[in-house]
Amino acid sequence: MTKNTRRLLVLFIKNLIFLNVDRQFAYYNIITMWTQQEQQELTEILKKYPADRKMSAVLPALYLAQREKNWLADEDIEAVAEALDISPTHVHSVIGFYTLFRKEPTGKYLVQVCTDLPCALRGAEAFYQRLCQRLGLSPQGGTTADGLFTVEEVVCIAACDKAPCAQINLEYYENLTDEQMDGVIEQLRKQG
Amino acid sequence: MTNEITLTIDNIEVTVPQGTLIVEAAKKIGKEIPVFCYHGKLEPVGMCRMCLVEVGTPVIDQTTKQPTLDAHGKPIIRFAPKPVTACTTPVSPGMAVKVDSEAALADRKAVLEFLLTSHPLDCPVCDKGGECPLQDLTTRHAAGTSRFDYEDKQHFPKKYPLGDLIVLDMERCIICTRCVRFQNEIAHDPVLAIEERGRHAHIVSYSKPKFNSHYSGNTADICPVGALTTRDFRFGARSWELTNVPTVCNHCGVGCNMVLGTRHGEIKRVMPRQNELVNEIWLCDKGRFGHHFNGSPQRLTKPLVRDGEEFVETSWDEALKMIAENFASIKETNGAAAMGGIAGAHLSNEDLYLFQKFFREVIETHNLDHRVGLSAMLEDDTAYTVGVGVGTNLGQVGKETAILVVGSDLDQEAPILYLRVAAASFKRGAHLINAGGRRTKLDAQAKVTLRYRYGTAPYLAWGLVSAVVKQGLAKDLQGFPLNEDDFGGLPDYSATKVAAITGISVAEIEATAKAFASAPNGIVLFGLEAGHDPSLRAALETLVLITGHAGKPNNGIIAVLPQANSRGAADMGILPHRLPGYVPIASGGGLSAQEMLADGSPIKTMLIAGADPAVESETYRNTLSNLDFLVVQDLFLTETAKLASVVLPAKSVAERDGTFTNLERRVQAFEVGLPLAKGEAWADWLIIASIARHMGADWGYASADGVMAEITQLVPLYRYMKFENLVAPTALERKTAHYIYEGLSFTAEVREGLQWPTLAEDKTAKVPFRFIPPAEIQNPKPNLILVAPRVLYDDGRLLAESEVVKNHLVKPMVWLSRADAAKLGIADGEQVTMSRHGVAVTVPVQIHRLLNEGVAVLPRNLAGRLAEQLVGAGVYAEVEIQPVRN
Ligand code: SF4
Ligand code: SF4
Ligand code: FES
Ligand code: FES
Repeated sequence: MTKNTRRLLVLFIKNLIFLNVDRQFAYYNIITMWTQQEQQELTEILKKYPADRKMSAVLPALYLAQREKNWLADEDIEAVAEALDISPTHVHSVIGFYTLFRKEPTGKYLVQVCTDLPCALRGAEAFYQRLCQRLGLSPQGGTTADGLFTVEEVVCIAACDKAPCAQINLEYYENLTDEQMDGVIEQLRKQG
Repeated sequence: MTNEITLTIDNIEVTVPQGTLIVEAAKKIGKEIPVFCYHGKLEPVGMCRMCLVEVGTPVIDQTTKQPTLDAHGKPIIRFAPKPVTACTTPVSPGMAVKVDSEAALADRKAVLEFLLTSHPLDCPVCDKGGECPLQDLTTRHAAGTSRFDYEDKQHFPKKYPLGDLIVLDMERCIICTRCVRFQNEIAHDPVLAIEERGRHAHIVSYSKPKFNSHYSGNTADICPVGALTTRDFRFGARSWELTNVPTVCNHCGVGCNMVLGTRHGEIKRVMPRQNELVNEIWLCDKGRFGHHFNGSPQRLTKPLVRDGEEFVETSWDEALKMIAENFASIKETNGAAAMGGIAGAHLSNEDLYLFQKFFREVIETHNLDHRVGLSAMLEDDTAYTVGVGVGTNLGQVGKETAILVVGSDLDQEAPILYLRVAAASFKRGAHLINAGGRRTKLDAQAKVTLRYRYGTAPYLAWGLVSAVVKQGLAKDLQGFPLNEDDFGGLPDYSATKVAAITGISVAEIEATAKAFASAPNGIVLFGLEAGHDPSLRAALETLVLITGHAGKPNNGIIAVLPQANSRGAADMGILPHRLPGYVPIASGGGLSAQEMLADGSPIKTMLIAGADPAVESETYRNTLSNLDFLVVQDLFLTETAKLASVVLPAKSVAERDGTFTNLERRVQAFEVGLPLAKGEAWADWLIIASIARHMGADWGYASADGVMAEITQLVPLYRYMKFENLVAPTALERKTAHYIYEGLSFTAEVREGLQWPTLAEDKTAKVPFRFIPPAEIQNPKPNLILVAPRVLYDDGRLLAESEVVKNHLVKPMVWLSRADAAKLGIADGEQVTMSRHGVAVTVPVQIHRLLNEGVAVLPRNLAGRLAEQLVGAGVYAEVEIQPVRN
């Protein structure tokens, strides 16, 4: 067997497996995207709203759908739409309105550093750039190779008096120094 | 009157009903308050701020509760410190509104400056230019310059396909949300939304496919800027260069009024023409985009005669002579009984009238019919007796009306009717009952959904009749054959029995009967999926008669007939057993289409106008190819035309005039949009008249309205239907569309057409009750029922020839419920084989999450005509199903 035919064969086998998996996935895809645990929580959430007003549960349902991987794929969005009997377009529009919902792959920890004017006056811009550098990211931010951290610049997170400040997922970290930030990152890395 | 309120607008006094918005009150006195987001058919939202006005109310003396007066004895008005949106503020007594005050003008100027911060100002290349509210209001009210930084304009892609038919130029959008609200409130397809915020806000659609709605074109009409444009009109022409010709849609029985915008002998666009009694200001996408067949290069241009396997072109004179000779000699040798005709139900009344006259007077046979294909699926003999009363307006009925829909998927079969029925319930609170064998879109707007087993609709209808009588709610039982208290002597349709047969609970049957009988008005709509059993029609007729829901406006029955002139075809007597105007034929009449096309039929020669029976079944095709002489007149070389001896090119609806009668019996005229026909095409009525003349008949018809003039003389139902009456402009109050407010920019006269009255409206006549027992149910517990409904985008020839909708034509596939798919262990996209009576058909599966178990759907009239092979001439049948494993 030449190297080339071997490669083709491997590709072929991979494809076979892949196709099968894919098809299985497609099947379940239509039935549900939720894990059993999530399904239970969703049922609990829905109990808080009248049966014909399920759409009111869109925010908690989106938080739930985003919890596992910290962003929402199209399938997640469709699952929310289906569970609440609303159109996927409607769910997208809600996501688009709120900055905490993400439609692109995002690290497990989303580090949002404010570099707006008051924070910038306290050195937040330089702080942000050093952070990116230490994490091996470009000055525009991005996601670390291990998929753990996504770093981005944001405008005011209402902690101007405690700059430099960052929001990591739903937690606030204030009056940060480089060392403190490294500590936080280290800590989260350990948690995995 | 207590419910009227008087106020002044720029010192002009006006009196309007309580609850009227300031903007509407101003319209009444001809005062234009500029708007963008406000639209008369949508809920007001007050988003754009364009309609800001100054509003003051009388100062009320707290002790006397009377307005405080000034030195001149006039009430003192206190103006609000800030401007108010006229589109959301209702009027109040004594209110004073300043529309053209200095402050209001300054506000308008400021709002426009804001709205234009990112606007590209590309009117010279914008399709909306010339009929654009933003352009016009800017020239009227805006400052000549902007203080915003040019470099800071927000940029978006210039031609983003929002859906297949609609292109979005987001830079022009002013986020008025008219399009989003239209989709949510009117179309009930919530597939548009705004994503992101502030200057990044933009319109999106995430449905699959994008902008998945039958009504998308309307958003381009009501968009007050050039942000939404239709794919086929983009850069097609400037609006002021168009000649606008009033016409009527020829794609379904609703009969929407529209305007052909033509230029240089081409239809550039189709827009709705307001008719509040038919389509209001809407069109479905089939009507709007399905006109391209008119200009299709596949059109027939010359008469063709067969020469062996080939066709050769010939002159009209030769062709007509040849037809006349052949018809005469066959009549001579085989007799008139060997001759027959089929005419399609999208021909005009004039064509159809002459068609039947030709057969009855010149050939001397009653062998003629229009009931092939779709037209054979749904017959309606209730319109003559208890059709909806003259003056019925589905656009206005509300709380006082119960609407019962039986077996129709309105969103697919008659889209604009869907909008009106949905709005009657959703917006105005009509009691809508949707009865059907499967879930349809209308369920979401219905107050009650009844799910019966396929084939049991007649039982349900008799069950309702019986429940009405039993509950003592019948208003008119004079001559009713069933004994009021005792059903013993006659078949038993008690709720218990009917519940067992239909699968609908006793309580639901009783509640429905009660709701329908006790509502002041009652309307019944029935469609293809209710089945073809005459028992159903008899039962529905009985239901409306005993509940008193017949013979007056907003009461009676509407059959959701499939084609543009299905009603007219029956009215004009294209039936073997009825003369025009539903006059029965004493001798019993001639052969039906099915009989003429059956194996071993005695027919030797046929004239087929605008119908294509050869695609319907192999049997039909065989019979047609064995005829001695076949003449076909059509737009295209259809499957039937390919079998013909002579093929005659007919004019399309846009190239000629005539009348159609819609499913509410409204006769409406359409005018000539393209004076130059394709090639040498002739109007169908002219072709028929010419054949008759060549056969020696003394027929002097010279125009379509001349033919109609004869109809008005001879068919009493049509006695007022002269063209001049049909095209008379309508009463002023129903004319409201104005491009700034509603989005229809051209000036076309509003005409409403005329309805003919039913027998029930004749106070001297009594509609006799009919009792026809329903057909026996073959298998009460079928495993799987295959339904072959009609879908909007099917493979009908006219649509298939309209290039722009090609992507929308439904591909052959069967919808299965999740439960049935799981039972078979198949996934989306996999194949199944369905079989019945030895015929097997293999199609891919699409799992439909809202379909009920035990029902599979494969639409009819798709490429390959697969459903027809299984269900034949019916609409549903029990089938076997197997997954295809490989
Ligand atoms: S696209 Fe047109 S209708 Fe839709 S929000 Fe923008 S301006 Fe309004
Ligand atoms: S609803 Fe029917 S008549 Fe109206 S536009 Fe659509 S196809 Fe034409
Ligand atoms: S400016 Fe940074 S938190 Fe407000
Ligand atoms: S706010 Fe009144 S028209 Fe937009």
